Amino acid sequence: MLRPDINDLLTQTGPGTPMGDLFRRYWQPVLHTDELPEDGCPPVRVKLLSERLIAVRTPEGEYGLMDEFCAHRGISLFFGRVENEGIRCPYHGWKYNANGQAIDVPSELNNSEFCKNVKLRSYPLVKVGDILWAYLGDPEKQPPLPTWEFATVPERQTYTSKRLQECNWLQALEGGIDSSHVTWLHGGGPSGHGLEADPLFAGSKGNQYNKNDVKPFFEVVENEGGLLIGARRNAEDGNYYWRVTPWVLPNFTMVPPRGDHPVHGHFWVPIDDENCWAWSFDYHPTRDLTETEVDAMKAGAGVHSKNIPGTYLPVANKDNDYLIDREKQKAGILFSGVEGIAIQDSSLQESMGPVVDRTKERLVATDAGIIKARQKLRRAVEALRDNGTEPVGNVPEHQKIRSVAIVLPADRPFVEGIGDGFLAREGVGQTTV
Amino acid sequence: MSACARAITAEEAAFRIDYPLAYGRDTGVIAFDRVAEEAVRQVADNPWGKAHFYTASLESDELISLNGERRDMRSEIEHSDSVIMVATNAILGDAVAEVGAICRELSIMTAGLLLLEDGDLTGKTLMAIRPYARILLVPADREDLFQLLTAIRA
Repeated sequence: MLRPDINDLLTQTGPGTPMGDLFRRYWQPVLHTDELPEDGCPPVRVKLLSERLIAVRTPEGEYGLMDEFCAHRGISLFFGRVENEGIRCPYHGWKYNANGQAIDVPSELNNSEFCKNVKLRSYPLVKVGDILWAYLGDPEKQPPLPTWEFATVPERQTYTSKRLQECNWLQALEGGIDSSHVTWLHGGGPSGHGLEADPLFAGSKGNQYNKNDVKPFFEVVENEGGLLIGARRNAEDGNYYWRVTPWVLPNFTMVPPRGDHPVHGHFWVPIDDENCWAWSFDYHPTRDLTETEVDAMKAGAGVHSKNIPGTYLPVANKDNDYLIDREKQKAGILFSGVEGIAIQDSSLQESMGPVVDRTKERLVATDAGIIKARQKLRRAVEALRDNGTEPVGNVPEHQKIRSVAIVLPADRPFVEGIGDGFLAREGVGQTTV
Repeated sequence: MSACARAITAEEAAFRIDYPLAYGRDTGVIAFDRVAEEAVRQVADNPWGKAHFYTASLESDELISLNGERRDMRSEIEHSDSVIMVATNAILGDAVAEVGAICRELSIMTAGLLLLEDGDLTGKTLMAIRPYARILLVPADREDLFQLLTAIRA
């Protein structure tokens, strides 16, 4: 359980909230590059950390992210006309450059002087990989650009998708940290077909370890950028099979790899306090993704979802009860009756309500990983709020991290046994089973 | 509107049945060395519902309550929903094994916290507790113990 005030502290990310201030120390993924596909293309509405914004790409190729509403009469600039150097409000013609600075106010006699005093709040928007990233914080505290491996490998080696999840960001993040649900929800329980049915997981030896030992032990280890959550199962000859999930503050998690399949993970990005974007990525550190793999990802396999064309709303969503199939559930073909890992997660996390009341929880000792993560988040939030202490996770040394799957002797600490396997290194493959 | 779409709104969340929850977990907390005992004593000095605190004994088959009473280990553990083992590198490995064996036999959930206030984790420490703790925090601190007990409503 959490006290109500702590639940509020961790779940509210709007301007002026302590957790909102923490998030405003990080670059966050905002848009796929193909949402602003060409110079001078139509603008896109963005809601991030409870701020309504408009993203533009000027005819000159400059990206901008600014207050959605015209300073004059509050018109949404979604209806604006993208012109040279910026965007013009269609109501009275006020024009802003990519930094939100007014550069033309046609009705004013002393036009240039008046313009100088009109500026929409704006934030940097930069392209790294196939994603546009935004930083909504104090410009003087702006961290280095993102260096996550999935966003920095060559384009042919990576694929990213996003979907709307209609619940608070922390519910989604906690699913990414909670390794103990995988055996049941995604693995199908002791008799499940689960992971072997998914082309992006099938065939790895790790699946057999998962299936043979459905009651893993866990070790939660402190790491500079967050936590390493290790799930251990019995392997041959008294060894242990380890699956280690890194969590980097505040909202990045990676799934341990399976065989030579691409490696995947997530960002859980608050839209407002009752909705978030689930960003999902798959990449391979040393080879191109195959056409078959990319087709499977686009079809919603692995950690991705099949979305309604032209939107980021999953086809299976709350409005159709996630297309739950009771016959498959009863037969054990799908343990939850819901198809696909992403929707299996979102259906349950959304069912908790927009912001779950954590005062009602009945946690058990094996939830210690989630309890520890909440504590680290709380400490980071309070340290920033009370002492101005900069949080971890927004520097390259914390972002160059990988998830790992490995078999180790029973007496080895997994951190020691894995060593550099946690480090993202160019040209070096993932540590996997 | 579908059943799910209706059910997950904030308005519907307000209709969840509201009743006071009983204390959840009968929880034994055992310190397996001197430094761990300090931490456990500090945390024990809070109002808990069903948490009971001990230190391990050099004698087999017994635990020592924080007021110094010697108690039969099995009798103290067998009614627990969960047992939290707290240790540092000075861990009493034999006592952990004894407690762990009872918990395994009686299907009692276990968690381990390695405080490491006395230096880096050693393989010996890890192996003393790893086989018996269903979940292990490495390293943990005193606040972790407090938060864990709070979260499970001990």
